[in-house]
Amino acid sequence: MSRILDVGLEELSVMLCRMGELTFETISLSIKGCLTDTKVYSRVREMSDMLVLMADQAEDKTFELIARFQPVASDLRTIKSYMKIAYDFARYSRYALDISYINEQLGGLKECEAWISEYIEKMSEKVLKMVRTSINSLRSHNTKLAESIAQTEKEVDEMYLTYIDKLIEKAPATSKCTISSVLIIRYLERIADHATYICESVIYLATGKKTALR
Amino acid sequence: MSYKIEIQDLNAWFGKKHVLQDITMKIKENVVTAIIGPSGCGKTTLIRCLNRMHELTPGAKVAGKILLDGEDIYDEKVDPVTIRRRIGMVFQKPNPFPMMSIYDNAAAGLRLNGVTDKHRLDEVVEKSLRVAHLWDEVKTELGKSGASLSGGQQQRLCIARALAIEPEVILMDEPTSALDPTAAAKIEQLIRILIEDYTVIIVTHNMQQAARVSDFTAFLYLGKLVEYGSTKDIFENPKSELTEKYITGEFG
Repeated sequence: MSRILDVGLEELSVMLCRMGELTFETISLSIKGCLTDTKVYSRVREMSDMLVLMADQAEDKTFELIARFQPVASDLRTIKSYMKIAYDFARYSRYALDISYINEQLGGLKECEAWISEYIEKMSEKVLKMVRTSINSLRSHNTKLAESIAQTEKEVDEMYLTYIDKLIEKAPATSKCTISSVLIIRYLERIADHATYICESVIYLATGKKTALR
Repeated sequence: MSYKIEIQDLNAWFGKKHVLQDITMKIKENVVTAIIGPSGCGKTTLIRCLNRMHELTPGAKVAGKILLDGEDIYDEKVDPVTIRRRIGMVFQKPNPFPMMSIYDNAAAGLRLNGVTDKHRLDEVVEKSLRVAHLWDEVKTELGKSGASLSGGQQQRLCIARALAIEPEVILMDEPTSALDPTAAAKIEQLIRILIEDYTVIIVTHNMQQAARVSDFTAFLYLGKLVEYGSTKDIFENPKSELTEKYITGEFG
């Protein structure tokens, strides 16, 4: 006989997995918009708004479970982690929207030299890989997979700092490109941070250990 | 923080049945320690060993040491009555003496100990009833029967009765399981106040009560101490799988 609480936890888990998949699509689409200069802003906005709403619903659900079942031990850790992860997903979607906004308002990377677009494409591949890792480790509560994110997190951080150094050395042709590329890279780096937070939450919910993967 | 009670390799039997096995734990002073575990795990036996009540049951036996302020309460030179005076007990069902008035219930312990001075009795009865947060509700009807009170009031009267002989430790065996939620909440609040002056050890079936009211929690299973630690650690991050399963309701 399963516990009544398990039904609620399962519902919450399904909600989060659905959010995870939608965030992946949202981030992919906003990056694609920048790299191929296509109009995706209004679509990304819709998806992002939807995700913020879903995060709100997930948070309500966690409150309901706490109020009704007074969860303890791994149940309590799971609920706390799910609450945080729902927020991380909402942040993913907001950064995706920010990236899309840069493209819409400043023309994105249109005025940039080829190496800049290539650099950002390479970095975005790493970030998308991290987002995927966060979603998959959450789905299976896989701590080994969660731990593996630390390496890519380090690489993304390095790419972010290296890019700033490169710009200081040699400014891009236009200030539009400078501003757009720096902001996009900054948002990508923030997405990577949230992917890492999610992996840390997965480890916490499964083991009770607080680990820093950054 | 110092230890009020140190239990060392405690074993207890009912006839051939070995109900407590090698229990070792140190209980801090002026805190609430909760003992949890499924029915029959030895919770009640454990606290009954702490004030030498276990041995009152025919066929019951105890081995090991229990130090109260460093002194073994099972030492042959120790008088069990003295121990029971220093370590009071409140039971599951409120059990005021039914033929006695509220006043006489609160004064019963003192009278048994030979106190007859009316002024002294008045003083202690009022103080105990105040500490038990019952005084305001009964001060105008102290002559009424203890049995005329509500369940929650009766339980607070029993706490007052225990307090009147000025114990150092108060043992509570499921003190709220016969009470409605409001009366139970009052007892829980009272327990938190009592630890300013006393050390409280509570046996409870209600895990949420242990989580709310205690500072330390011990989990007993089949007569063994499985896990003992701060209530925060036990309820957020228990070390033992068995504890995890019990407190999350997977068994018990």
